[in-house]
Amino acid sequence: MPTAERICFVTLRYAGEGVVGGAETMIRDQALHAQRAGRKVSFLTTCATNHFTWENEIEPGTREIDGIEVTFFPTDPRDVTAFLNAQRLVEKQVDRTEEDELTWLSQGVSSEALYAHLREHGEQYDRILIGPYLFGLTYFASQLFPDRTILIPCLHDESFAYMSVMRKMFRSVRTCMFNTTPEQALAQKLYDVDPESSVVVGMGLEVGDYDPLAFAAKHPEIPEYIIYSGRREGLKGTPLLIAYFQAFRERTERDLHLVLCGKGEIGVDPAMRPYVHDLGYVTEREKLEAMAGAVAFVHPSRLESFGIVLLESWLAGTPALVHSDCAVTRQHCADANAGLWWQTYPEFETQLCVMLDRPEMRDSMGKAGREYVQSRYTWDTISERLLEAIDR
Amino acid sequence: MERDPFEIKADGVDSAQLVAEIKAVVQAKMTTGAYDDPRIARAERLNLDTFKDDQLFSDFYLDCLRDAIEVDINDFEIVERRPRFSGLLVRLKKTIWNLLRFYTYRMWTQQNQVNGFLLSAIESSEHRHLEKLKKLDQRVRELERRLADENK
Repeated sequence: MPTAERICFVTLRYAGEGVVGGAETMIRDQALHAQRAGRKVSFLTTCATNHFTWENEIEPGTREIDGIEVTFFPTDPRDVTAFLNAQRLVEKQVDRTEEDELTWLSQGVSSEALYAHLREHGEQYDRILIGPYLFGLTYFASQLFPDRTILIPCLHDESFAYMSVMRKMFRSVRTCMFNTTPEQALAQKLYDVDPESSVVVGMGLEVGDYDPLAFAAKHPEIPEYIIYSGRREGLKGTPLLIAYFQAFRERTERDLHLVLCGKGEIGVDPAMRPYVHDLGYVTEREKLEAMAGAVAFVHPSRLESFGIVLLESWLAGTPALVHSDCAVTRQHCADANAGLWWQTYPEFETQLCVMLDRPEMRDSMGKAGREYVQSRYTWDTISERLLEAIDR
Repeated sequence: MERDPFEIKADGVDSAQLVAEIKAVVQAKMTTGAYDDPRIARAERLNLDTFKDDQLFSDFYLDCLRDAIEVDINDFEIVERRPRFSGLLVRLKKTIWNLLRFYTYRMWTQQNQVNGFLLSAIESSEHRHLEKLKKLDQRVRELERRLADENK
């Protein structure tokens, strides 16, 4: 099999200080590991850091970051009214045309400067890896050199996935590189993707040891707690988690607290404020130590293509509770025997009580989770799969 | 709260089995009304997407709504936690409540009436929706049967 030596990664934002995003983090890490494996890597991204406004906040140009060459391109001006009008049609899934879909994509986030660069230099790259799927930048960039493009979709079962242009994109590229088998199955169902051009890779995690008592030493005021880490927004289910937490405390009268890490606003009832601790953006070690000391990691999102934070909580030895509507996190929990999944509040309440009442069960599940991640999601395993997928 | 009777071995958990056991316990408790609680209905308002195809939840949610529909306008025990002047403060609070009751009674009875109308409208809509689905279901089955007969 010939080796693809020159590889270009394209994504919306460069993950790092202040930029929190699972897909961006994964694509950055894949780029870093491809580079470490001896491939020549270029990384193209935008000057935006905010995934709602897409305003240019970083200086354009090429810089070396984390050992790779990263080029930042300005995003195009947006017609937000046209975007929102198109979004209403796209969300309804009826009476929408391809033109509406393309309007939604082009007025979301797009960068003519990045496309111009790719048009000029695209022939120099053996492979162009682009993702995640939901954005104009991904769609338009993927259509420039589809025969050498590998799409990293991070696909979710949401109304946007049902757009006709998505079917076109998934079927036109050289390879679709999925994170998990449930995500691959969803693409198969929605777009009838050729199995020959589809592969599951995912991302690796750095294995370390995290002291479960470290967080308690820094925050003695917090007793037993559950934790969520990641973006805080409706699509990630954080309002649901906060509502469930409030109902749990009120109904069971247990002195349980909720710790949150990550970016985004949270709306908490004033009566609940003493029991909800917002750590904001913290370092990886702080996050994993906070996870290690928790009763459980709660992942209320229905839209995950991989579930990095879930796997991180298992690395920290903490079991999880996840929403049963998310096929990916549910599958991880079932395969690892390291988490439970709920569909309704009564199930959540019962599962959380079981977790609180049985520390021996929590330890057993946490240990199973750590073993699951170590056997499947370390970079030693993933790098090999990643390079095979790039070279095929 | 009482501890639920799940058998869990320390040397390994079968997540799927435990989830199924918990589901069964919850279903059984649901039929006894253990979860007919407005606090649950309030928490679940953000989880409605999950239940769009689940008739059981729709019934449960309507039960919670029926339970929460009446604004409580009855008298209640008036107490004072602070020890100093507690007798005086209780009398003051009772006087305020007696005055407020006169003005708020009319407002809350109207609110209760509106809540009752809304619940009736939702129940009626739910009933018509189910009847429509039932008829459509019958029609589809009849058409499938006819199609199968024609293809024989």
